Amino acid sequence: MKKATPYLLLVPALLFTVFVLVYPLVQNLINSFSDVSMITGRSGWTGFSNYKHVFHDTLFWRSFGNTSVYAVVGTVVALILGLGFALLLNLKLGKITTVMGCLYTVPWIISPVVAGFAWKWLLNDHFGVVNYWLASAGIVKAGTTWLGNPGTALICVMLARIWQFYPFAMVMFLAGLQSIPQEQYEAAAVDGATMVRRFFHITLPNLKTVTSVMLVLGVIWSFNDFNMVFVMTRGGPMNSSMVLPVLVREFSFVQFDLGKGSALSVVIFALLTTLSYLYLKVLARGEST
Amino acid sequence: MKRTTFIALVLSISLLSCGKKSDGIVLHDWNFGGRPKLIEFLRQRVYSFEKTHPGIKVEQSDKSWNMIREILYADFSAGAGPDVMNTHSNFAAEFGEAGFYYPVNKFPDFEQVKQWYVPHLLESTRYKDNYYGLPSSAIAFVLCCNKELFDKEGIAPPKTWSQFREAAKRLTKDTDGDGVIDQFGLVLMGGDKGGFAYRMIPFFFKAGVNVMSEDLKKIEFNSPMGVAALKLIADMYQVDHSITPGFLAYTHSEVNDLFSGNKAAMSIEGPWFRGMVGDKNPGKDMYVVPVPVPDDMIAQYDTAPTLQDMVMYSINARSKHLNEAWELLKHLRNEEADMFWITQDLGATATTKSALNSREAKSIKDIPLYINELNHARPWPPHPQMIAIASNIYTPYCQKAIVGELSPKAALDQAAREAQDLVDGKK
Repeated sequence: MKKATPYLLLVPALLFTVFVLVYPLVQNLINSFSDVSMITGRSGWTGFSNYKHVFHDTLFWRSFGNTSVYAVVGTVVALILGLGFALLLNLKLGKITTVMGCLYTVPWIISPVVAGFAWKWLLNDHFGVVNYWLASAGIVKAGTTWLGNPGTALICVMLARIWQFYPFAMVMFLAGLQSIPQEQYEAAAVDGATMVRRFFHITLPNLKTVTSVMLVLGVIWSFNDFNMVFVMTRGGPMNSSMVLPVLVREFSFVQFDLGKGSALSVVIFALLTTLSYLYLKVLARGEST
Repeated sequence: MKRTTFIALVLSISLLSCGKKSDGIVLHDWNFGGRPKLIEFLRQRVYSFEKTHPGIKVEQSDKSWNMIREILYADFSAGAGPDVMNTHSNFAAEFGEAGFYYPVNKFPDFEQVKQWYVPHLLESTRYKDNYYGLPSSAIAFVLCCNKELFDKEGIAPPKTWSQFREAAKRLTKDTDGDGVIDQFGLVLMGGDKGGFAYRMIPFFFKAGVNVMSEDLKKIEFNSPMGVAALKLIADMYQVDHSITPGFLAYTHSEVNDLFSGNKAAMSIEGPWFRGMVGDKNPGKDMYVVPVPVPDDMIAQYDTAPTLQDMVMYSINARSKHLNEAWELLKHLRNEEADMFWITQDLGATATTKSALNSREAKSIKDIPLYINELNHARPWPPHPQMIAIASNIYTPYCQKAIVGELSPKAALDQAAREAQDLVDGKK
């Protein structure tokens, strides 16, 4: 009984994992090879035809492109912004640093849905504050449309995502900055290195592992991001901001083609698994150095 | 011993906390959408039902109208869902075909209940040989004109396409002299696929265009008059710039804000709009008139059909309390309840003969117009794929034509091909 007790205690967690994680994954995989419609119900094995439909759908490629831009460009900009704020906070200017640090993390703690709605109204063409400021400064015409313009909708959603993600990058970079040995900076200062040279030759190399990890994590999380895009644009106007997670919903719950939606979600899962493998490799390399 | 006592204690607490089983019947009633006034009215109605039916408890839930199809499909497919709910009447075809709704004509007193309603409104709940609900509220799509802007400009609400285009042009202007247009003739709801389709198709109907053939086998919205209707809107956007540029992102709230804030002079809406605008801007008045007709059809201005939509109350085919659900349905939708749609501003028009013919109906603003429009209005064709065609095919292609990505003819022809594939089961 004593030997079995640890395993018995593991059972609830195992059951939870099976029902919440394993069963849906397996069912989703089965659905991706079946003709499953909420309207008609399953009608048998269809092999790879759902995958063929996904890859032959021009909307999939458009969404894949949008998602890649949203994930990569959005993450890189968020990292640059995060690093900038981390460098600022690392100056250690007393109590003001603590206060500013708290304020800078506010976007991270707001729910993505709430943030999405707030950004939607900020960017409203007639009543939004952003247009008011930009028009007052003469940068744009009053009434310029952002979310209703296929050319700018994706950029706006990306901006909202950057605004939400940069605090996390900032906190990680700050931790990284504070772990850099001060002796390296002192030695460089003695050798006459300027601040810029110290940044490029000491700071950035020491932050290489943190940056790599943040880049991979940021891309994975952005690839999975449904809330911001759905709340702000629902993938519109005219699919210009359609991303893969929103497209899964479109296939599954608008077109009610669960088979096609499942196939797409398996494709996304495979992509993210590859990225996760990369993340683990980077992490392992970082630990060994 | 200690371990055994602990396990016994945990099990006892679990069993006790299961709760006492209810003695009576519990019905689940889902209310989708509705303004606060309507929700309050429904609560009162349910309260009065429970008083007259002791032993039946009704649990009401309020849910989003925008997500109605997804919510119902997800629940019905899983064998769950409410006993009673309000839905679009055009779900009768899709949900009736799928076996989700119970045919109310199977209840023994249906023939008597049927007599309450205006016949052609009740027909909207029918698919093939069955009726899948009782009409709740009828909607005819009309043109709402901002009275303040129209009076200031000294023009009357338009009746023909030319007058409509001209009015929109005249009402598109820079009101504060900063060189930027800040008032537009027409606002469209492009951010909601279904909502956009509902606001475009009245132009098609008024021009005598059919969406589908009578036998529901052929798509017909790409007829020459259909192309002309779409071209009207496309020219207003691309040539006159009299339609709000950001319309592709607009939903109900943006349209309401623009109209209430005098940034837009016209919108295609339904009976809810006066109340919605009034909530935001009390005292704001509007002209409510039929959707304009092609110039050569002016003689049919009062009789050309607009789009009719309707909300109905339906019963879940898997409900365990069908008879009780039917009693609740009748209580929510009887002639007494229907009068509230006349006397209170609940956002739509009544559907019973007694309410629509009442003295009150003749004296309340807009009701005579809505009654006249409803007498000639047509619903979406009762095809199970109609909602998918309207939202996923018709809307995107119309929007592409309006912004200039495709010509109106190319857009409607391509949309018709895709819709025909859906109808033929090729997709």
